[in-house]
Amino acid sequence: MATLPDGTQLPGKLFIVEGIDGSGKSTQLDLVHKWLTTSGYLVAFSEWNSSPLVAKATKRGKKKQLLTPTTFSLMHAVDFSQRFQQQILPALRAGAIVLADRYIYTAFARDAARGVDREWVREIYSFAAKPTVALYFRVPLDESLRRIITGRPALKYYEAGLDLGLSDDPYECYRIFQGRILREYDAMVDEFGLTVIDAAAPLVQQQEIVREILRPHLEGALRIEPNPWRVALGKEHLTGRYLDSLTHSGGQSE
Amino acid sequence: MTDMKFYGHGLPNVEATHLSGKLIVLEGPDGVGRSTQVALLREWLEAQGYAVFTSGLRRSELASAGIEAAKQGHTLGHVTMALFYAADFCDRLEREILPMLRAGFVVLTDRYIYSMMARDMVRGVDKHWVQSLMGIALVPDAVFYLKTQVQDLVPRVLSTRGFDYWEAGMDFLPSSDYYQSYVEYQERMLRTFDELSVEYGFTVVDASRPIEDVFADLKREIGEIVAELKHKEA
Repeated sequence: MATLPDGTQLPGKLFIVEGIDGSGKSTQLDLVHKWLTTSGYLVAFSEWNSSPLVAKATKRGKKKQLLTPTTFSLMHAVDFSQRFQQQILPALRAGAIVLADRYIYTAFARDAARGVDREWVREIYSFAAKPTVALYFRVPLDESLRRIITGRPALKYYEAGLDLGLSDDPYECYRIFQGRILREYDAMVDEFGLTVIDAAAPLVQQQEIVREILRPHLEGALRIEPNPWRVALGKEHLTGRYLDSLTHSGGQSE
Repeated sequence: MTDMKFYGHGLPNVEATHLSGKLIVLEGPDGVGRSTQVALLREWLEAQGYAVFTSGLRRSELASAGIEAAKQGHTLGHVTMALFYAADFCDRLEREILPMLRAGFVVLTDRYIYSMMARDMVRGVDKHWVQSLMGIALVPDAVFYLKTQVQDLVPRVLSTRGFDYWEAGMDFLPSSDYYQSYVEYQERMLRTFDELSVEYGFTVVDASRPIEDVFADLKREIGEIVAELKHKEA
C-alpha cells in the first residue's frame, strides 16, 4: 500500500529508489521494471525532473545560471507536483505498481546540501504519498565518484554544486557536494524508514535482495494481459501474422 | 526597512545585510486600479528624488514564460501552480527586489505574496501549506489593500480586456457562464483578502472612490514611509 498524508490507503504500490549519483539505483530499478512487466504487472514509471512543462524553465535557469538554492528547490517541486498529480497518484488509485527513480528524499537531501531549510522543504512536499517501499542504495563516496567520473568528460555546473562555491575545482566541489548529500541521506534512513541496500555489493546480488524485499508487496497489484489477443487467435486457429506489424510499429519500448 | 525580516524561514545563502530601501506593496483584486496607482506613485516619488523600482507577479526571467505556457494549456493542478508562482516570486525576490532594497531603492510591487496566497486558498489549497511555502518572503514596510466591491470591478474589467479565464475562476468553478463565474470568484477572493488583511495588517484603502482620492491617500501614507530615507544618515 502507498499512503496519502491524511492516512488514506491507496490500492497501488509505490516503490522508489534513492541514492547519490553513481549508486547504481537506476540500473537496479530498470531490472525491477523488466521483472515486473514480464511477470504481468501493470507498471507506471516516473523519473525525477522529467516533466516537460517545467523542463524548459529549468533548462533556461541552468543555462543562464539563474537558479539559487531556493528557486532550484521550487522548480523541482513544480516538476514533482506535476508528475505526482498526473502520473503517480492516478496509477496508485487504479491499483498499479509505480516505480519512481528518485522521490521526495532527493529534494530533502539535495536542497539541504544547498543550505535550504530542512523543515521548509519537508513541508512543501507534504502532499506526497508515503512509498510502500523506499530503497536507499548506499555507496561509499569514493566508489560512487569512481563510477561517475570514469568516462564522463565534464561535470555540469549545478550537478557539481558549483553554484555553492565550495571549490573552484569542479571535481573537488562535486566531491564535497555529494558528501553532503550522502550525509543527508544517511540521516533520513531512520527519519523515513528507508530500506538500505548495500550498493557496493555485486549488481546481480543486489537485484536478488531487492526482489526479495519487493515480492511480499506485490499481492493484489493490478495485472495486465500483455497479449490479450492470444486467446482469440487460439480459438480461431489463426497465426496473427498481421499483429506483428502492429506491435512492432508501435515504436515504444518498455 | 532596517533589518531583514522574513515571514518564515527566509532564504538560505542570503546575507543578512542592512536593507536601506523600502518595500511597499499594493494589493487588491484585478481591475481595482493597482497598476494605475503604481504608475502615478512612481512618477511622484521620482520627482522628489527617490529611486524607484517596480515589480509585479509573473515577471521573472526564470518562470514567467513557463507559467504563461501552463496557463494556455490549463494543465497544472493547484498545488503545482502554487509552486510555480512561488518559484517566479522567489526569482524576483532574490535577483531583483533584494538587490534593489540593498541599493536603497523604493521598491513598489504590484501585488505580492498575498494575491498568490488568496488565489491558492480559494482553490482549496491548504492555508498552512501556502503560508509555510511563502515563508521565504520578506516582510514589507507597508501593504496597501485597495478594497472595493465586485460590482465596481465589473465595468472596469469589461471596458479593458474583458473577463479572463483565470480571473473568473473558470478553472475550478462549476458555472460555464463567464459573468456568473467572475462574480463568484471575485467575491471569494475579496473574502479571502479581508481575512488576510487582518492577519497581515494591511492598510485598507477604499478604492471605490475616484483615482485622485485614492492617490491622495497613498501619497500621504507612502510619503511618511519614504521620508525616513532622506532624514537618516546613510
